[in-house]
Amino acid sequence: MDENRKDATAPASPAVGRRAFVATALRLGGGLVAFLAGVPAGAAEQADYDWTQHRWAYLVDTTRCIGCGACVRACRTENDVPGGFFRTWVERYVVSPEASHVDSPRGGLDGFAPIQTPFTPTKSFFVPKICNHCEETPCVQVCPVGASYRTRDGVVLVDGERCIGCGYCVQACPYGSRFLSPETHTAEKCTWCYHRITKGLRPACVEVCPTGTRRFGNMLREDDPVRIAISKERVSVLQPHLLTEPQCFYLGLDKEVR
Amino acid sequence: MEPARHVFRVLLLLLVAVVIFVLGRTFLVPSSYGEHGPYRYANVAEQRAVRAPRHGGPAACGACHAERLKAVAAGAHRAVSCEVCHAPLARHAADGAKRAEMPVDPSAAACARCHRKIDGRPAAFPQIVLAQHQGGVEKTPCLDCHDAHSPKL
Amino acid sequence: MPEITGFAFPNDVHVHWSLMIVMYPYITGFVAGAFIVTALYHLFGKKEFEPVARLAMATSFCFMAIATFPLNLHLGHPERAGYVMVTPNFSSAMAGFGLIYSGYFVVLLLEVWFVYRREIIETARRSRGVKRALYAALALGTYDTSPEALEIDHRAVKILSAIGLPAACMLHGYVGFIFGGIKANPWWSTPLMPVIFLLSAAVSGIALLVVLHQVTAKLWRRPVERETVQAMVRWLWFFLIITVTLELLEIVLLAYENSDAWHIISQLLTTRLEFSFISVQMIVGSLVPFILLAIVVTMNRYLHDRVRNTLAVVASLLLLVQVFAMRWNIVIGGQLLSKSFRGLRSGYRPELFDREGILVAIALLVLPFVLLWIFDRVLPIEPAAPPPRPPPDPEVGPEPAGGTA
Repeated sequence: MDENRKDATAPASPAVGRRAFVATALRLGGGLVAFLAGVPAGAAEQADYDWTQHRWAYLVDTTRCIGCGACVRACRTENDVPGGFFRTWVERYVVSPEASHVDSPRGGLDGFAPIQTPFTPTKSFFVPKICNHCEETPCVQVCPVGASYRTRDGVVLVDGERCIGCGYCVQACPYGSRFLSPETHTAEKCTWCYHRITKGLRPACVEVCPTGTRRFGNMLREDDPVRIAISKERVSVLQPHLLTEPQCFYLGLDKEVR
Repeated sequence: MEPARHVFRVLLLLLVAVVIFVLGRTFLVPSSYGEHGPYRYANVAEQRAVRAPRHGGPAACGACHAERLKAVAAGAHRAVSCEVCHAPLARHAADGAKRAEMPVDPSAAACARCHRKIDGRPAAFPQIVLAQHQGGVEKTPCLDCHDAHSPKL
Repeated sequence: MPEITGFAFPNDVHVHWSLMIVMYPYITGFVAGAFIVTALYHLFGKKEFEPVARLAMATSFCFMAIATFPLNLHLGHPERAGYVMVTPNFSSAMAGFGLIYSGYFVVLLLEVWFVYRREIIETARRSRGVKRALYAALALGTYDTSPEALEIDHRAVKILSAIGLPAACMLHGYVGFIFGGIKANPWWSTPLMPVIFLLSAAVSGIALLVVLHQVTAKLWRRPVERETVQAMVRWLWFFLIITVTLELLEIVLLAYENSDAWHIISQLLTTRLEFSFISVQMIVGSLVPFILLAIVVTMNRYLHDRVRNTLAVVASLLLLVQVFAMRWNIVIGGQLLSKSFRGLRSGYRPELFDREGILVAIALLVLPFVLLWIFDRVLPIEPAAPPPRPPPDPEVGPEPAGGTA
């Protein structure tokens, strides 16, 4: 698995091994062929992935985000997200001590245009948002049929075959992460690209982030950079008073952010 | 208990209904339900295989385009994944062979998405005001002067 | 596309719980409220309610028969609705629906059966052919109408009423819990929610029975008992006062605590819900009926029967609207505010012809009355009317008081 790009200026390390590149490319290629052939891709991978060896966590460093929207676009193409709905989005905050303005034009899909506010801002920043994959999820709690659940490796998923489309989980999520898909008529949300992370890849949004804002890691590995950052640095989570225990941590969050 | 005969009939009917329900339920509950919690465990494997990954990352691109990758890695765009400007890998390559062209948007809008000066971007990040950059570049595509793979001039 | 004022989370702009989810608590409110009326007679023995007891029971039954329809019309996958019974996740209040609904259905079905059993048998004995077979099947093949059997029936009805009352309350109370347990939404999240829903259900049930009683009395040419109307009005007034007190209390408390939610909720109430909450629910729907019912309760002695009946019916009709407005304001209102607490979306307008639209909602309201008519044909709600009194013979003089009737 590629190292997380903590430092945006570090080289991409081509010296790590051409074998790794070829292996990844072949796996992807093989997966593509298998997918095109109609066989569920990764059927041979199941034996390789042991969910007891992983406890995933996500880290967002808002001091680096430039609001380019590459993450939103990548998620859309990786996961076939229906138009008008978002598995991830980016919010812009333009703040002064007296007033604040928040916007997220189409979730940040096309980046952000310059903005005029009626007040003079003293600070502004971008905040990427995703499903927080909470430990004490209100969404799993309210699913009437057990379609929404949390895996052993810490990912909250929705079973598209069991979901009856009642929308209770959408109402229960305090972060607005969920939606009812107009195509499948079931609940959908960010899955931390489960189909990628179980193959040693990173979520698509993390993969394309050019500034190292979005980071992903395994809390069970002692040398994992995300685990080290969460353990050592001042981190916060969204709406901590609700005690949902989000597993998406933030660096540099401002009091204006909910 | 003769006068209560009708009550016993009702209770019997109820019992039959309950038994039918309980028996029917055992057929309808999915086999992997409850193995690791109140959900259908088989779905975990289904989610792992829901689709083939579409993004490969620069390393995967480098498998075929090694020279290009080396050039990018030495330049200012070394942290920008190929797929940010070009489409995801899945649209382009399959089984190590090219299946379609890789589209790219050469207009200034694509570059401006990251590099236009707007509130919110960290000050240290390279960004320009279009009207002030080199005397005004609103009409000029960025690629006229900059190489997208090694943009620093 | 809905208009947003302020900032809403991108996924928050969609109203997923539509008119159908407003209809569902409205309908189960009638189920619970009508059952409270019938329990006031069958369980608590209040004689004033005898004339409406069977009507109330039949009303509760007919509304309950269609209670699942709005839910199934709303689900993204109605063909999977059975999963709630097969793999219920009991940490979810919604999962309780399967058990509570079936349980209450059985209780009410049994109570109807025990109340009507003697008449079913008599009808079976009187009939021939298919009708006889049908009623014999309904009687479960026993023809025992001895006093001991009827005494058992009477006791069974009392027991079922005792079980049915908390069951009916749970059927509607859990709906309030569904909203009250959502900590993500400050307009919904309060321990008062199940209580408000239940009391409001009592209001809607009694109000409906007031109207139905007047209507059926005209249809069947039966007298309207003054005591019955008075008793219903008194209970209605009582429940109305408590309901509105709690509804207002919730808002007053939010305003007093002035938490981060109050800012967006006060905006919601004064902009998006100004008409439906302040004008309809509070002023026209609560204040006016309160005054009308107060007149009936306090000036009972001075009122002519027709005035009392008219005031009661007008107040009840307004209350039927109020209860609908209350459901609307909670269900739809809660979705107009974004979880960002910074934005509101424009009001939700249901489509006319949609699966979850206005015409379907109207059909859902009409259907129980159609079922009530069918119910009356199979199991007459009112026992056969006594023969009309002959006019007094001028030779003999007026009939003595307490004469044959």
